Amino acid sequence: MGEITHRHFWTRARRDLAYQAIALLLLFAAVAVIVATASANLADRGIETGSEFLTDRAGFSLSETWLPYSPDNSNLWVIIVGIGNTLVVAGIVALLSTILGLFVGIARIGDNPLASGLSRSWVEIARNSPPILLLLFLYSFIGKVLPTADAAQLMPHVLVSQRGFAIPWISFPIAGKWVLLGVILVFAMIVASGKLATHQRKQRGKRPMWAPWTPILLAGSAIFALTMTGDGIGADFPIASGPNIQGGLILSPEFFSLVVGLTFYTTGFVAEIIRTGLLSVPSGQWEASYSLGLSRWRTLRLIVIPQMLRVIIPPMNSQYINIVKNSTLVIAIGYADFMVVMGTVINKTSHAIEGTLIIIATYLLINLTLSAVMNRLNRSVQVIER
Amino acid sequence: MISTSSLSRKMNPLPFLARSFGSPINILITVVFAGILFFALPPLVRWAITDAAFFPAIPETCKSASGACWSFVIAKHSQILFGIYPDGERWRPLLVCALLIGMLIYSVRPSAWSKRLAWVWAGGLGLSWWLMGGGIGLANVESDLWGGLPVTLILTVVAIGLGFPTAILLALARRSKLPVIRLLATLFIEMTRALPLLSILFIASIMLPLMLPEEILPDKFFRALIALYLFASAYLSEVIRGGLQAIPKGQFEAGEAIGLSFAQLQAKIILPQAINVVIPALTNTIIVMIKNTSLVLVVGLFDLISSGKAALADPEWSSPSIETYLFITLIYFILCFGFSRFADRMEQRAKAPVK
Repeated sequence: MGEITHRHFWTRARRDLAYQAIALLLLFAAVAVIVATASANLADRGIETGSEFLTDRAGFSLSETWLPYSPDNSNLWVIIVGIGNTLVVAGIVALLSTILGLFVGIARIGDNPLASGLSRSWVEIARNSPPILLLLFLYSFIGKVLPTADAAQLMPHVLVSQRGFAIPWISFPIAGKWVLLGVILVFAMIVASGKLATHQRKQRGKRPMWAPWTPILLAGSAIFALTMTGDGIGADFPIASGPNIQGGLILSPEFFSLVVGLTFYTTGFVAEIIRTGLLSVPSGQWEASYSLGLSRWRTLRLIVIPQMLRVIIPPMNSQYINIVKNSTLVIAIGYADFMVVMGTVINKTSHAIEGTLIIIATYLLINLTLSAVMNRLNRSVQVIER
Repeated sequence: MISTSSLSRKMNPLPFLARSFGSPINILITVVFAGILFFALPPLVRWAITDAAFFPAIPETCKSASGACWSFVIAKHSQILFGIYPDGERWRPLLVCALLIGMLIYSVRPSAWSKRLAWVWAGGLGLSWWLMGGGIGLANVESDLWGGLPVTLILTVVAIGLGFPTAILLALARRSKLPVIRLLATLFIEMTRALPLLSILFIASIMLPLMLPEEILPDKFFRALIALYLFASAYLSEVIRGGLQAIPKGQFEAGEAIGLSFAQLQAKIILPQAINVVIPALTNTIIVMIKNTSLVLVVGLFDLISSGKAALADPEWSSPSIETYLFITLIYFILCFGFSRFADRMEQRAKAPVK
């Protein structure tokens, strides 16, 4: 009797509910224990929690930054500077490895035995060695080949010394922060005007007359404003003075190793993605296109690449996210990326919990933004089925 | 270039000379690459072989040579591989390395998946522990003295070994019909995958001391192990989930129809098929994990790279870092490349028609 009522009571729905309740209870218990210990530990060490530390003076110097920075800036700004450094590296590596990966991937399935052999060894080395070792190796290699005494000239206007590589750069007359802000603002306005034009075209069936002119006008006025303020934009060539270099843009050995090492590593993976993409297009597509009289280049551009994109965009998305993640490895050689900055800020202020939350939030934000962009791209290349 | 290869190779492969010089563009490519090799290879060979220092493996050999200082690697290979493990006992970590690699290779074969596997793992890890730490019949070696390759391999193998069962549970939880369980699993997996391993290691090393009471606070080694374990289980679970998705719905329905419980259904019908589908992806993830273990360097663990750096600190030598890093890269390369070749062979055999 008892057994039967028992069975009736534990219906599947009730059992499911009980499982979930237990899971939630366990989670809450774990969180409660952690919060209790953490707050006790924090109280013991006299650490206060809160976000005020973000506005405090940072007080440490960074060797190289892409956004203007001095130790007098706030902790919040130094974190943004760190994110900027990470994104600059990731952007450059993404661009370079996509281009190189395209060539290496094509060369690998091409006819030429020399090209495909070299591409194959590139891919195998990149895929089977830890990126952190590539960085350490490159860094010590660069450290040994850089001239110890005076700066040497590599090419016209490209100098090399113990401090790194110096290349010509554009000189900005006004504070870089405002230039950056202005560029972002103008870019946003151009995007907005494009959106408005598309909207109007959809409504009225005709492109508005101002559509092609607005972006030109906006960009033109931005450049005009830039050139009118201060001395205008000019080229800034590096000049050697003994072991030192003045002017130009100096790429430190750390930055250089990071970009070259990560590009080498990522190219190996991108090449494999490109190769899979190319092989996924059936050879009948090539034959059909040739028999329609299309040239090899137009076949590639109009027939093969659009079909290939569908296969390669999702894995390329994860490669781009991997670049952002792998750029943290630079901690082994010392370039002020986001994680290095966060480590220093947490060490100096002891705000470990807030720092951890900032780290998690930042990476989530970067990943989600990247995925959103790539998903948009992915949707645009999908076959539209009716 | 692309087209001809993908078409012609199926019918009849072109001879070597035709592939190298068959068309103007191929001649150009061959000439350019041959030119690069012509200028890059001789200095490389001079540095690495003809001008390099080998024997006798003493600092003086390197000072008189203009090329690579392989004498250093030859003299210090034991220290790079095993860190500061006592000199006379280094056969023990060597045996542990062989044991761990053997376990990894043994376990990825589908024919090994039975209850016995758990015992093999328990036995293998226990044996490694005994060999490394000593005790019954062997001299005691404190864990502070462990270092180099065995540490790298222990971290990899334990993280994967513990991560795999967890990953199965996570994958099942993420596909569960129960919304709370699904949400929790998804949150954990996506959070872990969004963060770089380095930040997970970093968070583990600063947050665990805050979150846990002093008494149960794990040391550096276990903190890194926990971080690697969480990382491995999140990545492996996504691979397994991919396999689960590939199983047709009819398999679930048939299993339920003959009255199997959830656990029986998963263990006997679904998981064996699902994991078989994703073996290539699993071995890829394992290679990624082997490579990722190199990151424990940054939380101050004495892994292969750290022991290489420690060997470089010897003032008698001129600190040949390039050669040392090349040596360590070679070790990783052999591990990863060998493992991926093994996985390829296994995949080919699985594809071969059954007799």
